Amino acid sequence: MSQPNRLARGGRLDRSRELSFTFNGQSYRGYPGDTLASALLANGVDIVNRSFKYSRPRGIVAAGAEEPNAVVQLGSTEAAQVPNVRATQQALFEGLEARSTNGWPNVQRDLMGVIGKLGGQFMPPGFYYKTFMAPASMWMTYEKYIRKSAGLGRSPMEKDPDSYDHVNRHCDVLVIGAGPAGLSAALAAGRSGALVILADEQEEMGGSLLDSRELLDERPAEQWAAAALEELAGLDNVLLLPRTTANGYHDHNFVTLHERRTEHLGETAPQAGGRRQVRSRLHRVRAGRVVLATGAHERPLVYGNNDVPGNLQAGAVSSYIRRYGVVPGNKLVLSTSNDHAYRAALDWAESGREVVAIADARPEPAGELVEQARAKGIRIIPGAAVLEARGQNRVTGARVARVDLEGFRVAGEAESLECDTIASSGGYSPVIHLASHTGARPTWRDDILGFVPNLVEGVLAAGGAQGVYATSDVLADGWSSGARAAGETGFDALEAQLPHVEARHESGSVALYQVPHEKPTLRGPKQFVDLQNDVTAAAIEVATREGFESIEHVKRYTAMGFGTDQGKLGNINGMAIAARCLGRSIPEVGTTVFRPNYTPVTFGAVVGRHCRELFDPERYTAMHQWHVEHGAEFEDVGQWKRPWYFPRRVEGRMESMHEAVARECRAVREKVGILDASTLGKIDIQGPDAREFLGRVYTNKWAKLAPGRVRYGLMCKDDGMVMDDGTTSCLGENHFLMTTSTGGAATVLEWLEVWHQTEWPELEVYFNSVTDHWATMTVTGPEARKLLAEITDIDLDREAFKFMDWREGMVADVPARVFRISFTGELAYEINVQANYALHVWETLFAHGEKYDLTPYGTETMHVLRAEKGFIIAGQDTDGSVTPEDLGMYWAIGYDKPFSWIGKRALTRPDTARTDRKQLVGLKPRNPEVVLEEGAQIVFDPDHAIPMPMKGHVTSSYYSPTLDSGFALAVVKGGQQRMGETVYLPMADGQVHEAEIVSPIFVDPKGERQNV
Amino acid sequence: MSNTVDDKIKTFDTRTTSRVPVESPLTYSYRRSGAPAPGKGSGAVLRERPFLGHLVLRGGAIVLDEALRAVLDISLPGEPQALVVDASGERSVQWISPDEWLLIVPGGEEFELENRLRGALGDAHFAITNVGGGQTVIDLEGDAASELLMKSVVYDVHPHHFPVGKGVTTVFAKTSVILRRPTETRWELVVRRSFADYIYRWLLDAGEEYAIGVER
Repeated sequence: MSQPNRLARGGRLDRSRELSFTFNGQSYRGYPGDTLASALLANGVDIVNRSFKYSRPRGIVAAGAEEPNAVVQLGSTEAAQVPNVRATQQALFEGLEARSTNGWPNVQRDLMGVIGKLGGQFMPPGFYYKTFMAPASMWMTYEKYIRKSAGLGRSPMEKDPDSYDHVNRHCDVLVIGAGPAGLSAALAAGRSGALVILADEQEEMGGSLLDSRELLDERPAEQWAAAALEELAGLDNVLLLPRTTANGYHDHNFVTLHERRTEHLGETAPQAGGRRQVRSRLHRVRAGRVVLATGAHERPLVYGNNDVPGNLQAGAVSSYIRRYGVVPGNKLVLSTSNDHAYRAALDWAESGREVVAIADARPEPAGELVEQARAKGIRIIPGAAVLEARGQNRVTGARVARVDLEGFRVAGEAESLECDTIASSGGYSPVIHLASHTGARPTWRDDILGFVPNLVEGVLAAGGAQGVYATSDVLADGWSSGARAAGETGFDALEAQLPHVEARHESGSVALYQVPHEKPTLRGPKQFVDLQNDVTAAAIEVATREGFESIEHVKRYTAMGFGTDQGKLGNINGMAIAARCLGRSIPEVGTTVFRPNYTPVTFGAVVGRHCRELFDPERYTAMHQWHVEHGAEFEDVGQWKRPWYFPRRVEGRMESMHEAVARECRAVREKVGILDASTLGKIDIQGPDAREFLGRVYTNKWAKLAPGRVRYGLMCKDDGMVMDDGTTSCLGENHFLMTTSTGGAATVLEWLEVWHQTEWPELEVYFNSVTDHWATMTVTGPEARKLLAEITDIDLDREAFKFMDWREGMVADVPARVFRISFTGELAYEINVQANYALHVWETLFAHGEKYDLTPYGTETMHVLRAEKGFIIAGQDTDGSVTPEDLGMYWAIGYDKPFSWIGKRALTRPDTARTDRKQLVGLKPRNPEVVLEEGAQIVFDPDHAIPMPMKGHVTSSYYSPTLDSGFALAVVKGGQQRMGETVYLPMADGQVHEAEIVSPIFVDPKGERQNV
Repeated sequence: MSNTVDDKIKTFDTRTTSRVPVESPLTYSYRRSGAPAPGKGSGAVLRERPFLGHLVLRGGAIVLDEALRAVLDISLPGEPQALVVDASGERSVQWISPDEWLLIVPGGEEFELENRLRGALGDAHFAITNVGGGQTVIDLEGDAASELLMKSVVYDVHPHHFPVGKGVTTVFAKTSVILRRPTETRWELVVRRSFADYIYRWLLDAGEEYAIGVER
């Protein structure tokens, strides 16, 4: 197929080979160097999408990141689907497949068009709030419809074959944008020796120099850019990141750069050296100084039917002609408020195509470019603008008339001009997005008719980004910014060396945003402000009439700037229209600000490698492999993977969890079980004041705990609420080993350090985590002593090694500390060995344990066994509102300790002294088959009208094979005084369970079994 | 009151002289995730140095320095983020925090060293904790090693900022490591046992594009 709009020569293309690609199933050809947009224009494709609300045909408008219409879906396979790609930023590659994101069955003949036009009636401004909020039950339906018709593409349903990275970078100077300002800034900073990163979002660095008509040092501007880039590439201290968008400026000069490494090569990353390349990277840059050289976006004019394909930005026309060798039409009408846009007409004419006329809103245009146009014989209509475009699927004409800018009215007869392209320019808006990510509001400048950024410390702006437009000024501004940034990070910049640029005379611009029409805005043809969200000038006028005066309200009411383009083209025009309607100035109306991301970033880059198996760290104990090999099901406890239960194959069938847990429970109560308890937090405490310190952080007493003994300890926050618990062993007079809950290990260590460092620095004590150093295995059950005796030299005699003693010796030929503590209520030994030996010791226990039917058990069985004994789990039976008294653990409260331990004072507050606080009790369901739901609410009167007063809730609940019944721990108001009473648990399904309040100790209340 | 008297502090030699199987923190990882052999094109080579002696020293810099010089003939790094390695390259001491240093010595030396240090430190206020079972050292070398680290840690590893003889505790992916640079070409990661597999798998994944290899 021919490329009807392709020029015979020119453009930065490799014409030695052609690329084929498809758009909406149709095949086309282009060249390396094309963007998808330039190739579509070269092939004469007018319609690239249908609009969001009205389903109007839309064409390509811009040539860069600001494009609102040409948002396409890429991908030839399901896994390769990429939504939200701007065709103007997508490099063409062989075999590229793209589709419009909106328009069904196709954009040319759109069935939705009819529906859409009706649909538009239902989407007046404020539709989000008016139409779709009622009835609320329909919102899900509306949302689906809106999302589908919004045309923002869809995510792939298959696994992404690509990989993505985060890269942390640090530099002295980060320059964003590699146009004239950025190149100049990077040269100044780079030559000073500072570490520089230069990032640019386009396929090629050079920015406006790549389509400039100017000469730098008597050479075409693009040659100067090429030389500058070559020099920068040769500097070791400079990193060039092309195809890299600075998508967010965060606090303290932390900038995220999204680098697309392979998206110009194929839809998924090709192999290199036998390995699939990383598709895109998020560079997390921490910079000393940031230079924003982001340039300016051209503002289109707002006139009737300005959305019909064939309406383009003037600058985009020049870009397509000069960079891509594409003239996007045959007959051009230009509507402008300034000199610079004349480039479009000159480039057009030089391409051999017809410029019908230039409508210049200024009464007496007189700049150098204007004179060049006159010299070419181009007709210039002064004081005029395009009022309205003609045509449906493509521009067929333009109505042009004299306009009275002051009076906002048409001042003369309209003239109809035949054309297929209308280029417009209403001036330039500095690209202030990154600067406004800081939250700093920009400032309006009447002299440049644009907002310039207010800069926080450490950020500089150069060139177009702060309204400096003349090329020689831009280069100088870039240099001085780069030099200043380098200087502020400790490098001396060299003397400025800037190319000579012929000064150009430009005549001033006029302020023109919305072009007046003969009809009032509400009755005239649609004048689009935000093309992506179908927001018209009329919509903004309606919003102001309905009383929305704040620009933030106008934005939300009309959805202006809500699209993925964030209103890059439309926002300033929208503000100007609101200002006109409200009779205020633009600075009075103010501006909305932009948020990250500047352009959409693929989730892959946001996630980086933190996905799939690497989503979150998985912490393993030294016995993990054994657990895996023995079929354990795992439970996440914090980041630890703990065996949950060990299902066995019984009679050819895998046990259910219920069956496995019942078997494991019986094994511990009747024979012997083993638990991997390595995940418990362990803190080694040394120092002459260690004992005193323990007395202050625990509620109970530590003064008399002798070496060789272990004690349970309860820890409160300063508000008197239980924070953690565990056992602490006295290893020596000045030496203790504290254990914490698995999840509480880090918190407790920090807690100890905070109190030591801030409150009691005079205490001589040090804390060190030894959680990972020791592996811990709990051998528990009536046969535990016999089993352990086979492989240890420690005297296990019940008098020599009592409950709550610890001893050291050899276990399976490995030095071990053995603690006789019990979380099951049975005889139990916790064996601690250096983790590198753990698997050997564990396997030796099993080698000897077979005759005792040694059974591995997991956390679920541990929970059942401990709950049968009424042992709490901090964080499950407590929730930050439970005191030791609420738990009934008066035995663990040292009321008469000399030093006021943490939490003591809080226990005397009136609220903590109430007798009707929620207190820990046991619950026995009347029906033993019922296992109450954890979290279920408890009421005293099930017949009470709803809302019933809620008197407590279930904290732990299980089936007990020992009791052959469900049982639970719960907190109930005044529960300690309500033993024997019946409570009720109404469930969501209408059932009401009955349960009796009982002691939380269900099994062996006297503790005889653990003391054998 | 002294830390050195036997019944005040309970030191404990956790190593056995019996020949029993012993497993480094990465043993399971090799089995599960494999260990690609380094080749000519490997831009990064990973090697675990398991079973070393790791002692955490807490206390005042002056007394610890004196004891360390007397016992081991190396001086305590006084500067924050400094790492001192002895002439053999086998023993090192690293600043961790204002009153904390990490001493790494050949495996088996640590218990005797702890007792000698305790003897030298006498009545001073200090703590020595054996953490050898709880952490391991991963060496990283190769042209792409620092690039691989940039994908993994937030800390600036540029040679201007991270010269030889520096060591920091920093964020690594979603966990933390102690990162040190004992020589021009070699980085060391001191990682906690329970996180070692995550870090290993992360390095293999992030290092794939550099053809990372594992020396065993």
